[in-house]
Amino acid sequence: MAKAKMLTGCRASAEGAKAAEVEVICSFPIRPYTAIMMELAKMVANGELNAEFIHGEGEHAQLSVVLGACAAGARAFTGSSGVGVTYAMEIYSPMAGGRYPAQMAIADRTLDPPGDFGSEHTDAMCTRDNGWLLGWACSPQEVYDNTLIAYRVGEDHRVMLPQMVCQDGYFISHIPDKVVLGEQSQVKEFLPPYRPISPLSLTHPVSHGPQIRPDQGAPMDAQRAQTFLAVPKVIEEATADFGRIFGRNYDPFVEQYKLADAEIAFFIMGAHANTARAAVDRLRKQGVKVGMARLRWVRPWPTHQLAAALGHVKAIGVVETSTSYGGAMRGGNLIHELRASLYDLDDRPLVTSFMGGLGGETIWPADFDHMAKVLTQAVKEKKVRNYVQWLGM
Amino acid sequence: MAKELPGYGTIDVPKDRVVPFGAVTPAPVCVQNMFQTSNWRIVRPVKDDEKCTRCLICYLSCPDACWVYKEEEDVMEWVNNFCKGCQICIQECPSGALTAAPELDFPDGVVRLDKPF
Repeated sequence: MAKAKMLTGCRASAEGAKAAEVEVICSFPIRPYTAIMMELAKMVANGELNAEFIHGEGEHAQLSVVLGACAAGARAFTGSSGVGVTYAMEIYSPMAGGRYPAQMAIADRTLDPPGDFGSEHTDAMCTRDNGWLLGWACSPQEVYDNTLIAYRVGEDHRVMLPQMVCQDGYFISHIPDKVVLGEQSQVKEFLPPYRPISPLSLTHPVSHGPQIRPDQGAPMDAQRAQTFLAVPKVIEEATADFGRIFGRNYDPFVEQYKLADAEIAFFIMGAHANTARAAVDRLRKQGVKVGMARLRWVRPWPTHQLAAALGHVKAIGVVETSTSYGGAMRGGNLIHELRASLYDLDDRPLVTSFMGGLGGETIWPADFDHMAKVLTQAVKEKKVRNYVQWLGM
Repeated sequence: MAKELPGYGTIDVPKDRVVPFGAVTPAPVCVQNMFQTSNWRIVRPVKDDEKCTRCLICYLSCPDACWVYKEEEDVMEWVNNFCKGCQICIQECPSGALTAAPELDFPDGVVRLDKPF
């Protein structure tokens, strides 16, 4: 077994791209994800990675370049943070609709209110309805692993969709942690070469990205939705294969931490899950029956898996690290989808949400104590007092 | 035994409505008939062969390659199914041979079609 190295999330992401032998990379600077491109630029310059490294003139260009590269049959890689992610907004839907399985690494950053470097999931969450596969890692190791898993799922011919591999800015992207890199033989066994379906070709010319008529729009949408019905099985297969080959096993959709006998639970994704786990351990020592469910994929959303994992819990606190101003619960977006996932259960849990980790703030262990108190109270009163509460406000 | 939750159902796109995967099609030799784009036109260019000098400026200026020079008959031919009615050719024609006519004036005008082609 290879030795663990201390790597940041950005370096782990670059190592993942290198292991996947990406052929085209397109960069544009914005912190904190920039360090991924700095690492990749070094790898290309040092001859460790044989890839075309293109400087985009903005994020819109970055996405357009990888779309073209993918159309030409190359495994393509790009990334961004914060307002960079939203600047490229136009390209997300055409890229998924045209079935270009490129990958985008996101190191989360707050959208400008104005100008904040801190981490917040709102940037990539904005793109969630554009047909990409979207998931969060909670450690540099998982960033590396998800990079490979996402390529494998996205390039599967049952899927053929672009992927966003997200990590919290700074908390994951800039804090080194132990990472075991895969052997090239393991990567080769796990990730077959990218096989495009109808690439641009001089000998078999094709048209990509045509104008379609309104009556062709609905079937096109239906076919994209149909693909998403097939994705969960591919994710399950890929995650199981990953565990077999690399020896690191993940629950494909939801990490379940001490949930089996839990009465209350935190529902969370990304970096702050690490604090949540420690908080669960500490609260359990005090006799609180608490657990944690950590979401690994936002798209496709694991409706049934969440109902199975959380259905028996009495009260759930959704830790939102993104905003949905004016949304149904006036907090973030995860609570909407979690509540919808649990709605059909006969004895559904109480669900409330906590706005935390916004603008790059830390969610402290004491915050989890507070959340546990609110949840315990909800169980006692058999109702939640509010849909949302802002931590520290 | 836990209650069975609703599923996602199935999606069956009728065979005659299936769009090629990713809307990628074999490149056409001349015209791409699968995706025709003139159904939002409200006017079309009408040419006067007497005034037309066959200078080919319409051919050069059309963004959708909707003017073709027919060598045998020595006339310019207009491509109905792809002209979006942008009128650039009318603006550019140096001899005033092109005029804009409303689609309603034509029995096959796109505004009269129940279905787009």
